[in-house]
Amino acid sequence: MARSTSTTPSTQRYRSTELLTAWSTRARHGALAGLALLTLLAPAVGSARGYLQLFVTQPYLELHTGPGRGYPVFHVVPRDASIDVLFRRTDWFKVRTEQGVEGWASQGDMQKLVLADGTRFKFDLGDRAGFTSHRYEMGIFAGQYGGATLISAFGSVSFNTQLALEGSVGNYLGKFSNGVTGDVGFAHVFAPEARWSPFLTIGLGLVHIEPKATLVQAADRTEQTAYVGGGVRYYLTRRFFLRAEYKAHYIFTKRNENEDADEWKLGFAFFF
Amino acid sequence: METRLRILLLSAVLAALPGCATVRSWFHHRPPSSTESQNDDQAQDENAPPRVIEPEVARRKITVPKIRSRNVEMGLYYGELSIEDFGSHPVYGVTAAYHITEDFFFEAELGRSKAGRTSFETLGGNIQLLTEDERRFTYYDLSLGYNFLPGEAFLGRGVAMTSAFYLLGGIGGTDFAGDTKFTVNFGAGYRVVPSDWLALHITVQDRVFQSSLLGTAKLTNNLEARIGATVFF
Repeated sequence: MARSTSTTPSTQRYRSTELLTAWSTRARHGALAGLALLTLLAPAVGSARGYLQLFVTQPYLELHTGPGRGYPVFHVVPRDASIDVLFRRTDWFKVRTEQGVEGWASQGDMQKLVLADGTRFKFDLGDRAGFTSHRYEMGIFAGQYGGATLISAFGSVSFNTQLALEGSVGNYLGKFSNGVTGDVGFAHVFAPEARWSPFLTIGLGLVHIEPKATLVQAADRTEQTAYVGGGVRYYLTRRFFLRAEYKAHYIFTKRNENEDADEWKLGFAFFF
Repeated sequence: METRLRILLLSAVLAALPGCATVRSWFHHRPPSSTESQNDDQAQDENAPPRVIEPEVARRKITVPKIRSRNVEMGLYYGELSIEDFGSHPVYGVTAAYHITEDFFFEAELGRSKAGRTSFETLGGNIQLLTEDERRFTYYDLSLGYNFLPGEAFLGRGVAMTSAFYLLGGIGGTDFAGDTKFTVNFGAGYRVVPSDWLALHITVQDRVFQSSLLGTAKLTNNLEARIGATVFF
């Protein structure tokens, strides 16, 4: 304090140094404030990055080199450490530890982790409960369409456990004609919780018929169709189920008579 | 003696008194508390102004961000297809796969090649069995794949990439010689995954369909060997 009241040049020098120190402390405070701001912003940045942070509660979490039980364990995350969940492939999660080590953790191990508030991490497991209630289905079929061999694929979006919007495309290969079918409709599942669950379908579609060149009427044609059908789903394991289906198609031709075609198919499907 | 005894008794009484004071709480199972202070508290409560700040203990709410699923694999391939009786020719195509579990995946393929000349045509001079359009060999298929022999591929000392062999089998159609034939395919492949989003494949596949192009109906085997690159989404 004496220095600030002194008028000697040296004091001036002192004053300047004091100013400097004042500036430097202010700068330091500013830097600290900046750091504090950064640390405040850090969670925001973290959330913008969008990775889920989980905490290990079991003695350790094993990390594999790849998404499968056959890939070796190369790292373990100790209890109470946190991990970031990067993405998921099938039943495996790619995670990153605090040290930046990235590896794959299995679905079974991930179930034991907790969120920051201490609640257990819950996610969609591919199990029997998922068979009852899921969002999407996809599958491939082999079968018959009006006596011709049919190759077909389908996809569906479920509104609830019982009602779903379905679409399917097929290619039939017959003796007299080849063709492509496509249809969209609704499916109603009875007893979705049962392993064997029957369903009914109804919808509209198109069929493109290409008669074989050896026949007289060789013109390709596309007709509108409507169908009603039913079938049964059978839960196999994990995310898989079998699906057997019958559809009675009514083909609205441009001629006097409408046609009908029976479609039988058996397929292998999965939900997710 | 008398004073010593008195001191002993007095000290025993002194020691026992505080103990007796707690007797009530022995039977009522509650800590001793003075009724006077309770009354004081009540009086204070009546006189005290209402509490302005209510302590609120709210549970932390965690919003769980959606975890990205990267199960879809799409890519291109190029290779050689041996069309029975029509020679071997380059084939190219696109694949799309969906990985359902660590073991199983669905794959859809669409490929194209062009058939050459049969030995009959080559030896027979000017004979043309098929037109140029009919020589185009286009196929599609829907297959189920099974991953097995998971492992790692090493490049030098520092780089390790996960890998797996897989089996493929499925059904589809082949558009060749002016007709589409029901086709069964089966094969095997090797997949190396250098990064989270990229995969490299070497695949060998056989496509079997019935053909009666050369007189008699027979099952034709059309072997294909190819390399491919796919991207995970």
